[in-house]
Amino acid sequence: MQEVEKILNEEKIEMDQIEVPVELEERLSNALKDKSVLKRRSNSWVTKAAAACFIIILVGYNFNTLAFYGKRLMGYDKVMNGTLKQLNELGKGQVIGKSYTFKNGVVLMLDGIMIDENQLLAFYSVKGPESSVIDSSTMSEYLSIKGMSRTYNMQSGQGEIDDKNNEVKWIASFEAPRFYEKTLNLEVDLTQDNILEKGNITFKLDRDKAMGYTLKKTLNKTLKADKTKVRFESITASPTLTVISGSIQNIFELAKDQISGERIRPNDIEVNLVANGKEIAGQGGGMSTNLNGIKFHKEFDALPQELQSLQIHLKSFSIDRDVNKQVDLNKDDENKRIQIEGQDLEINKIYESKGSAFITITTKESTILTRVYLDVDGKRTELEETIESNLIKQKDGIILNTRTLHFPKTGEDYKLIIERMTYTEAYNKMIDIPIN
Amino acid sequence: METERLVKAAKQGDKTAMVKLIMLQKEAYYKLAYVYMKNKEDALDAMEDMIISIYDNIYGLRDESAFYSWSKTILVNRCKGLLKAKNKIRVLAHKEEHAHTEEQAYEGDIQQKEDRLLLEQYLSQLNQKHQEVIRLRYFLDLDYKTIADLLKIPLGTVKSRISTGLNKLKECLGGEEHARS
Repeated sequence: MQEVEKILNEEKIEMDQIEVPVELEERLSNALKDKSVLKRRSNSWVTKAAAACFIIILVGYNFNTLAFYGKRLMGYDKVMNGTLKQLNELGKGQVIGKSYTFKNGVVLMLDGIMIDENQLLAFYSVKGPESSVIDSSTMSEYLSIKGMSRTYNMQSGQGEIDDKNNEVKWIASFEAPRFYEKTLNLEVDLTQDNILEKGNITFKLDRDKAMGYTLKKTLNKTLKADKTKVRFESITASPTLTVISGSIQNIFELAKDQISGERIRPNDIEVNLVANGKEIAGQGGGMSTNLNGIKFHKEFDALPQELQSLQIHLKSFSIDRDVNKQVDLNKDDENKRIQIEGQDLEINKIYESKGSAFITITTKESTILTRVYLDVDGKRTELEETIESNLIKQKDGIILNTRTLHFPKTGEDYKLIIERMTYTEAYNKMIDIPIN
Repeated sequence: METERLVKAAKQGDKTAMVKLIMLQKEAYYKLAYVYMKNKEDALDAMEDMIISIYDNIYGLRDESAFYSWSKTILVNRCKGLLKAKNKIRVLAHKEEHAHTEEQAYEGDIQQKEDRLLLEQYLSQLNQKHQEVIRLRYFLDLDYKTIADLLKIPLGTVKSRISTGLNKLKECLGGEEHARS
């Protein structure tokens, strides 16, 4: 009988020895740190009654305004960037609120859209059946929007999955629908465990909600560096996005280079957009080569409301170029410097081991010999591998890459044949865009 | 007096005053949380939640001298809430583990047949309402009246719960003693 109480008392002694952690005070203070100013509420019935009357008056007289504010898209805060949040606050979206239920219980809900000159943004959610888990490895959906005569493809999208892995909220960007479109059809291909099911949601466009553009300019400015020309064609700023488009070669230049065997393949073009002296955050871009030549577009966040100045800053341009260059090598060459297309290439050393030739070279980090061979006594030998790559940052901030090329053949005479090379041309040129 | 002055300041939104109020009785709060949560981290989490809840609701506290009993009730409720949430998460894991816990139980018995561990085991098998009064009464040495205030239940209920709980414990422990000898 006393046994239990004795043990309980032992436990108390244990309890008495527990010390309050030193971090307690700090944790309590920190917990309160994020709290905003104290809300004070009065409980008196007079104020309650007054508030009720006030609300009735507000609702009664401003029903339209409330309806307007009510038309915000809810639940997308985490996926929206600052610009979209602001527009949503202003009720700039068109609320749709239609859903489609697939056979497997998945519900796709189109909550709303936002349209302007550059894009159509669809806000939608994909929700699994009650408390099930959405597994992106077994389920995927593909969306497109069908208009009167053409289909608008999805260009990009980002989503956020909820804590229970049951629902994903998406914002997807589509090409902006043409001005004549009235009714659009969102087509969804849902694939789960390799079974495809099609669904669709039809909705009417509310042109009153379309936001148009804030700035649209033809630029037609060409910047030239070394051998390449970059042409900026236009800039279109809309409330959700700013797009700069341009080209690198038209189809004639492309054809000419192809014939002369000096084709270039652009990799990346680094462009900054500077508004009122501040860089605008980049949001993506793309490049394409087709019958229209080589085109590029760069996307940025929306421009600030009060625009005083606007500049495009072309920083650099990375291309892969046909160079077709032969370099004669002597086996005792050490730290031999050569230049190809204005780019430094240092041949550090050449050595042989177990029937293979090894050549150690150093270039800028961005320079890569994309197609290289070793001519061994008149025989062309392919590169087997690149080994021992070492990046060293120099005092001037330029990063050099030293690595060793391994060719599985040895002989008397060596020639390095560089057919193609990727490198970055620095431009650092600005274009001022007049604002009127 | 000091307490009432601090409570008044806290009501005006003075965060330092609020932290100070808690720190004045830090041991009582911490041990209270510890008795429920059984580890330092969870106890601290519960106290964080408590201070936020106090901050949000202190405007409604009429009687400044009741601050401590009022806030401790908040803490207890918060602890129970956390435990509930924790249990929900653990249910699944528990079921899966079941197969080998039986085996380990024997091994565990041989290694540590300390009565205290056994007690904790039986205590946690008791109904939540019975074990909490026993913990508060014996581990924290609180009197019946304080427990009644804290849990917002009548004094008689506290007494009856403690005696029911104790009897159940004795049954469990006694039974085990019997089987062993």
